Amino acid sequence: MTETLNYDVVVIGGGIAGMQASLDLADMGFTVLLVEKEPSIGGKMFLLSKTFPTLDCASCISTPKMAAVSHNPLITVWTYSEVDGIFREEDGEFRVKIIKKPRFVDEAKCTGCEQCEDACPIIVSSENNFNLIGRKAAYIPFETAVPKIALIDMDHCILCGACERVCPADAIDFLQKPKTVDVRAGAIILATGFRLFPAERKKEYHFGEYKNVITAMQAERLLSPTNPYNHVLRPLDGKEPMNVAYILCVGSRDRTIGNPLCSRICCMYSIKQAELLMGALPLVDVTIYYMDIRAFGKGFEEFYQQAKEMGVRFVRGRVASIDQLDNGDLVVNYTDVENGGVFKKETHDLVVLSVGIWPNPDVAKLFKDERLELDEHGWIKQTEENIRPNATNIPGVFTAGCATGPKDIPDSIVDATSAAAECADYLRRIRNKAVGVIPVEVR
Amino acid sequence: MVKVDPEFKEELKKYGRSDFLSACFNCGVCTAVCPYAGESSNLPMKIIRYAQLGLKDKILQSTEPWLCYYCGECSASCPRGVEPGEVVMTIRRYLTSKYDWTGFSRRIYTSKIAEIISASLLAFVTAIVIWLLHGPIVTGRVQLETFAPAHIVDMGDMVIGIFLAVLLLSNLYRMYRFTVISRLGGKGIPLQRYIIELKHVIVQFLTQIRYSQCKIKRNWINHLVLMWGYTTVFILTVVFLRLYLTNEWYPITNPIRIAGYFSFIALAYGTVYAMIGRIKKDEPFRRYSHPTDWMFLWLLFLTAITGIMVHAFKYLNMPLATYVTFSIHLCIVVPLLALEVPFAKWAHLAYRPFAIYFDKLASSSI
Repeated sequence: MTETLNYDVVVIGGGIAGMQASLDLADMGFTVLLVEKEPSIGGKMFLLSKTFPTLDCASCISTPKMAAVSHNPLITVWTYSEVDGIFREEDGEFRVKIIKKPRFVDEAKCTGCEQCEDACPIIVSSENNFNLIGRKAAYIPFETAVPKIALIDMDHCILCGACERVCPADAIDFLQKPKTVDVRAGAIILATGFRLFPAERKKEYHFGEYKNVITAMQAERLLSPTNPYNHVLRPLDGKEPMNVAYILCVGSRDRTIGNPLCSRICCMYSIKQAELLMGALPLVDVTIYYMDIRAFGKGFEEFYQQAKEMGVRFVRGRVASIDQLDNGDLVVNYTDVENGGVFKKETHDLVVLSVGIWPNPDVAKLFKDERLELDEHGWIKQTEENIRPNATNIPGVFTAGCATGPKDIPDSIVDATSAAAECADYLRRIRNKAVGVIPVEVR
Repeated sequence: MVKVDPEFKEELKKYGRSDFLSACFNCGVCTAVCPYAGESSNLPMKIIRYAQLGLKDKILQSTEPWLCYYCGECSASCPRGVEPGEVVMTIRRYLTSKYDWTGFSRRIYTSKIAEIISASLLAFVTAIVIWLLHGPIVTGRVQLETFAPAHIVDMGDMVIGIFLAVLLLSNLYRMYRFTVISRLGGKGIPLQRYIIELKHVIVQFLTQIRYSQCKIKRNWINHLVLMWGYTTVFILTVVFLRLYLTNEWYPITNPIRIAGYFSFIALAYGTVYAMIGRIKKDEPFRRYSHPTDWMFLWLLFLTAITGIMVHAFKYLNMPLATYVTFSIHLCIVVPLLALEVPFAKWAHLAYRPFAIYFDKLASSSI
């Protein structure tokens, strides 16, 4: 069964940039369809602890945005849906083929009461907590999910029917099938964001093998208000870490794994985490192994100096490898560049890999009639980078946030607003539609 | 006072691939993965830093470049693609040219044409000498002893031996001055240290045990086999010449014959292995080949092949072919010894063990 709907814009990606662009376009009077492949909008931002350098609560900023998006009458949100193809129609508009994946839960009936989650006997790793804890096969992604609707992970479900028996709304439906919908749109905004560097690729750091080597995203979870352990503990044995190491530039500025780019964020988020760690564990020692500290933004350098004054130890030297001791402690091997350039070993009880961010080059495959240009590193190419930073090589397709390269949160939001403005201008010409309630006339 | 030479990087480029040098941002991964770092040296970062800053004098004083066996761990883990191993290799070539007081080494390292002309010229001179001095040509059966009378070959051995010894020893003395005297700053070294530390030279020369610290042991074994191959030939042709260069057929169990077989098989195997590796660029240390690397391998390879051919022709009882191949063999051996040992790649046979010795000496006084 296919139905055709019509929107001014389809925004692909419901992270902070996609949400911001949708809100701005809706505020200008355009109808927006926001497509998110995960079960909830929000992206990666609200999984974070705090933002740098202001130490604002990340989820306190993003949750109201998520609510605003879902309540805006001009924005339609399709979560757990994936774009399957983007076609150019003869009149110059786009046809977007979207697959709505089955949740096996009736979205209209589900109240988000979590009883199915309690009843489900299957426990698997939780993606949103980066495998630090488990979740059920029938689950709600997290407390503040938008929409707060349960879904069943069919890859792990054993069809025992426990959820169906307890559901008070009778919402469980094991017979749901993927639904393909064709949508007409005047313009597309790609807010496909980034993926975290897969830390297992740096074999010398043994991520995945040594349990006390964690990624910075896992550390964010341990420091966030929704900490899966309710305390900062190391994963192997639940010991409270007393001597934590941060290794910067993991997956960034590294030709051995094919990414010479700076992630722009790992210096600052590591400094932020170091400060938060000292707040959470007053006796902890934190060492940051760095190549350079790139504190380029407003307030960044002050933030760095503040961390130094708080007692964070900064060691210049890229860690070459990590060895594990019998008690789960970790020995890092590095060169102390600033003290004679000698080879040193140092023991820590928790090592955090400050992973970089990588592109989602698969976004180019969505375009069936045209070819979306990527840059040499796999990010979407900004064809007019200096004058129209949100334009791609395809007219009517714009980018917002990290889809074109690494950005921090404020920069992503600025970029999304800019994309909305660029897109509105395009739509006004294509669909001959006035912006907002004020008619625009240029003499 | 340290003198900085901003042109040094350009100068270094003539000795090999060092153009990635400026990409280094001193993160220290190379030193942290280096199997030789930690004991006394901070290879290779220290050397890279010296090269980057153009501290020529510091480089000249360093023994570290000779303590590196280029396993390539640093090149594989460098986040900037600086190829530290290759930079240190390039600096070894630079140092070889600096230890050489004649200036000839610099010529052949920086000019491919000079290298080829000198090799050809030496071969030509050897050919003329053979033409003038060879003994009666017996065509009935192979009479190598008559074609190349032992007293003449002995004389040739002596001339080349003295030539090599003078150059190599004087170059080693210069190396000693650069790496030991200049670092002492007027302080002395007790005489017994000179004698005690000499053991390092012998042990290192015979076993190359330091090379075995590299992660891949295969390269050490291959190098050791190659080294034992040419050392055996050297002993055979210099010490046992009269027994070795003979018309007589030894039984297969004769030690001279066994040693001869071993050495030529080792040379042929070692050089073919290295040449294929350099074409395939299979290991970091074979990825960038300088013209002198190829010259050395070709000369060594041809020496081995012609040596084997002489033996084969002698076995097949083909007198003329034996004499001609033998002459060609000599025309390759002479440039190989006269060019490579004092001036080029082969000089490392002396510089590597002595670098350890000098390093121990320099540190024993301070």
